[in-house]
Parts: sequence; C-alpha cells; structure tokens
Amino acid sequence: MELPQTVPFLDWRWDDLIFLVLAGTMLGSALLVVVGRDIIRSGLFMVLAFGALAGLYALMGATLVAAAQVLVYLGAISVLILFAIMLTQSKAGPVRLVFHSQAWAAAIAAIVIGGLLIASVLLTSWPLAAAEPIVQTARDVAALMFGDYVLAFEVISVLLLAAVVGGIFLARRDDIPDPSDPATRIEDGSASRVTGTPGVLGGPARPAEKP
Amino acid sequence: MTALSRPWNRLSLAGKIILPLVAVLIALNITLVVLWMSGLLPFLVQAILDTLGANIAILRFLLAATIILLITVPVAFMNIFFEMKLIAFVNLRIGPNRIGPWGTLASVIHGLKVLAKEDFTPRGVDVPVFTLAPAVVYLASVMTLLVVPFAPGLHGYDMDIGLLYFFAISGLGVVGLMMAGWSSFNKYSLLGGLRAAAGMISYELPLILAVMGIVLLSGTLNLNTIVQNQSGSFLDWYIFQQPLGALIFFIAATAEGSRPPFDLTEADSEIVAGFATEYSGMRFGFFFFAEYVNMFILSAMTAVLFLGGWNAPLDLAPIANALGIATPIDIALDPGSMGPGLLWLVLLAPPLIVGGLTAVIWMLKSDWSIIVSAIVAFVLFNLLVGGGVMLLLAMGIDWVMGLVWFLGKTIGLSLFFVLMRATLPRVRIDQLMGFAWKWLVPAALVNIFVTAAAIVVLHEIGRPL
Repeated sequence: MELPQTVPFLDWRWDDLIFLVLAGTMLGSALLVVVGRDIIRSGLFMVLAFGALAGLYALMGATLVAAAQVLVYLGAISVLILFAIMLTQSKAGPVRLVFHSQAWAAAIAAIVIGGLLIASVLLTSWPLAAAEPIVQTARDVAALMFGDYVLAFEVISVLLLAAVVGGIFLARRDDIPDPSDPATRIEDGSASRVTGTPGVLGGPARPAEKP
Repeated sequence: MTALSRPWNRLSLAGKIILPLVAVLIALNITLVVLWMSGLLPFLVQAILDTLGANIAILRFLLAATIILLITVPVAFMNIFFEMKLIAFVNLRIGPNRIGPWGTLASVIHGLKVLAKEDFTPRGVDVPVFTLAPAVVYLASVMTLLVVPFAPGLHGYDMDIGLLYFFAISGLGVVGLMMAGWSSFNKYSLLGGLRAAAGMISYELPLILAVMGIVLLSGTLNLNTIVQNQSGSFLDWYIFQQPLGALIFFIAATAEGSRPPFDLTEADSEIVAGFATEYSGMRFGFFFFAEYVNMFILSAMTAVLFLGGWNAPLDLAPIANALGIATPIDIALDPGSMGPGLLWLVLLAPPLIVGGLTAVIWMLKSDWSIIVSAIVAFVLFNLLVGGGVMLLLAMGIDWVMGLVWFLGKTIGLSLFFVLMRATLPRVRIDQLMGFAWKWLVPAALVNIFVTAAAIVVLHEIGRPL
C-alpha cells in the first residue's frame, strides 16, 4: 500500500510515523513478555509483538511475508503456546517472575546478541535511497521456492514431517486403554481427558481472599 | 459541589452521554458563529480541505474501514432475522411477527435489548483480557471483509494475496476465543475456549487445503481475478471443476463459523455457554454479532470461490442484444433538453397517474372507500417507479447487477446455514475432531493431487485449461 505525503501538522512521512508506532509496539510488548508476572499475559503480549512485526513487513512492501507471519506465528504458533500454557499451568504456586530462574543466562545471551546486532548495524553500509523498490509477488516467491531452492524446501519439509511423527511417538501413551474394559474406557476422547484433570485447569490468578 | 453532582448522579447513562454532547454542540455553534462573523471561516475551511486533499489515501482507507464496520450491522440483523423466522417455519411456529412488517425489525430490537442490559464483570476475572476478547473476535471477522469482492470495482482493497489475507486474519479469532475462555475464571469458560480453539484450528486445515485446487486452476491468490476467471455461463464456476473442494470447504466453513451441527463451542448441555458463560450485556452480544457476520463472510467466500461471485449464471448481454436492447443501457438522460416540459412532467405526471390508478382500483374493488384506493394507488405508483428506476440502474450500471447476484448467492448460502441449524443434530466433540483429521484433511489432499495431475495431463495432451 503506497502512503502519500506527510502527516498533517508534523511534516513527517506517514511511513516514518507508522514505523515508529509499530516498532515501539513490538519492542514494548516484547519487553513485557519477559518481565511480566502473568504467563498468559506474556503469551498475549507475544501475540501483539508478532502482529506488530507483521505490520512492519507489510510496511516494507513484503505483504506475502506479512500474511505468512500472521497465518503461522499468530494463528498457529501463538495459539499452540497459549494452549500449552492453559493445559499445563497451575496457578497454585507462588506468583513470581516467570523467567526469574534463568535471568543470568538470559542476560548474558541478551548482551551477546545485542553486541552482535550493534556490530552488524555499524558494519553494514546502508544505502540511503533504494534504486528500485522490489515488488515481490506470490508468483515470484513460488518460482524461487520451487525452482532454484526446491531441494532445500523439500529437505525442510521432510525434517518437519519427521519432527511431527517423532512428537506423536513421544507423546503416545504407553497404556492404551482396552475398549472392552469399562473401567478404563474413555467415552469421548479429548473432552473427558481434559475434564479428567481438574487440578491442572488454571484460569487467571485467584483474587486475594477477603477476610 | 453537591449541587452539581446530585442532579448528575440522577441522570441515566444515556443522559450522561447526551448532556456533554449537547454542551459540545452549543460550544461548536458559538465558535462557528464567531468565526463567520470575524471572516476567518473561509480560510479555515480552505486549510482543512487542503490538509484532507494532501492525505487522500489515508482518508480513503478510513472511509473504507468505516463503511465495512457499518455494513456489519445490517448484515448481522438480517442473519438474525433469517434465523428466527426460518427456524420458526421449520418448527411450525409463526416466529417474530409484531415489530415491523413480518417481524423484520425484531432483530433490531434484540440488538437494542442487548445494548441496554447490564454489562457485568464478575469478581476474579482478568479485567483487561476479559474486556478485549470480544473486540478481538469481532475485529478478526470484520477485517476479512476488506478483501471480499462485492461487485466489479466494489471492494475494500484489491489485494494481490487476498486469499492468504483472508485465512490469516480469520485465524486470529482463535486468540480472542482463548482470551475469553481463560480470563473468565470459570471451568466451563476455559473448557469452551479450549474446545473452540481446538475445533477452529483443526478445521482451518481442510478449509485452506480445499481452496488450493482453485489456486492451482486460476494461478492467483487475488480474489477479484478468481471471480473474473469464472465469468461466462454457470458451467464456468469452479464448483463444477472442484466439486470435492467445494464440499470440503463448505463443511469446514460450517465448523469454522461454529455453526450447527458443529457448534461445540456453545453446547449448552455440556459446557453451559462455553467461552461466553461469564459474559453479559453487549460484550456477550459482540461474540454473537461476530458469529453472524462470520456466517455472512463464509457464505460470501463460498460464493466468491465456487459459485462465480458477482457473475450472472447466464450471460444476459447476448439475449438482450438478440431482443434489440443494447447493453449496457445508456441512461444518460438529459433533463435540460426537455425545457419547460420537464417541469410539467414532474408536476403533473405523478398526480395524474395516481389519480388514474385510484379510479381503476376503486372501480375494481367497489367495497373499498375512495381514500383506501387512493392510498393503495399511491403505494403502487411508488413501487412501480422505484422498481423501474432500480431495473434501469441494474441494467445500466454493471456493479449494481453484480451486487445483486453476489448478495443473492451469499444470502442463499446463509439461508442454507440456517436450515442446517434447524435440521441437523449437534455432533460430539470427538466425532468433530475425528471427522476433520481422518476424513476432511485426507480428502482435501486427494483433491489437490487430482487437480494437479489433471492440469499436468491436460497440458501434456495439448488442451490446457
């Protein structure tokens, strides 16, 4: 989407303003993901960070990448993470910083990555004006993916398939219930498996009990 | 202070909204009068117009967003009315028949009722998440309207990857449902939210895979191009080249919109009202608002992808040409050329025609008084003139005709959704999941392979599609 001219009364380009808003949203929500005390809110802020990143992709003209980002990261991966949190988190434990136990390792990793990023930004020569904006259509991307890079694409596909099969194999229960045995029979698969573990179901943190 | 706060507290909610608005209006009027008296007004208006003109693309975007948000209101009301009336007919009831002709305004009253209800936040909920969840669900379905091609040239934004955008945005509703289920602090809500998310993710897979056949055939993700590829007679619609794909898409769309028989998210006999258990007032209303808008959008997408979108089933132009009517009809009437005759026509024709019709009706129906016949004649005259103008517009402007066909197909599919709710029993959750993973996904994969193989074979024998 081409944006025209300037922001009224500020004389900025619209692109700059939108970039600032999106980048600020992304960095702020990414920070809230790691410092938040409520793990579900951390997950939701991660959704917001992914969404802002998709907005940045769209702003740079890579609409296909933006749509793929929304489809895969927001629609699938975030939802999977939220699922995992909701099914495994018990709110009985003490409320504390979620990533507290790994703070030192995280700090070292963050400093190293920050140094690498700063170094790469400083060492790259940034062209001030792009000669010709590259318009990437879905067709071009498909031609590259299934033409020049088809071998890498297929290898990644096989790797993902192997990961899926391996995951199912690891998660498979060893004691498959005997259908003829009424004691172990499960009437309706997933529902009763979920209801069968009432202690796990969390919901938000219980409010402070009033005396 | 109490002198002011006591009457303020006695005001109802509507009064508390209206009173500041009246104050703002009075202030605006005084400002305008002062500006006009001092002669500053023209400069100010010119400055505003210049600013708006310099940012015309942003304006256009805001206008499109506003229109799309507003369109959802009549769409949802229409679907709610169909649901009430059609299910009543299936149940051998009369259904709504008090408000408006044939009860058509009953859904509007339902909407107002939901607005007036108490919006209650239970103790223990995660307030920001609880409040935002309905908005996320609603926006996820409304934002997809941006790429739906309503008629030739009538669409929010002609996106090159419209189909991908549609699936990406509509998948975001899952996040809202999970937010609602989790933040409600209720076991049934959490179960309902997880159930809704599991169901929607499972059915998104066959929904997307079923469309891949069309992408292979048309070679594009642009919805406008997909519709244009189906022009011609109704035999060119993709439903005839992709019957399996159309069936899978429709079944998956039913589950994606959580419509019966796949409405496990709100199975009241099992989990109260699912993720919406703790919601009340308009926040509850927004979930169902979103559901009805979603039903319209899924019908529209089925029409666009498989039933030719805004294409007519038969190309009417050759028939009209054979009858000696040139299409599109030139409706460029020049009122100026008629001179004073126009004035006489406008002044005299309506009373004369109404009078003539009154006489005819009064003579045919002798038991009516002349007043009643005059009223009937007036209504009849307006209907005839209005219908004539509409027909002329439909024949003359191509997007009016396209919109009529598009809405006809979409509403027909919506009625089918309602009929499914009235007739089919709800399935069990394990049947729902098993059906998606064991039947729909393999069938969709088979559909893709068969389509690709057919394209290659037809290309090899020298008759590409």
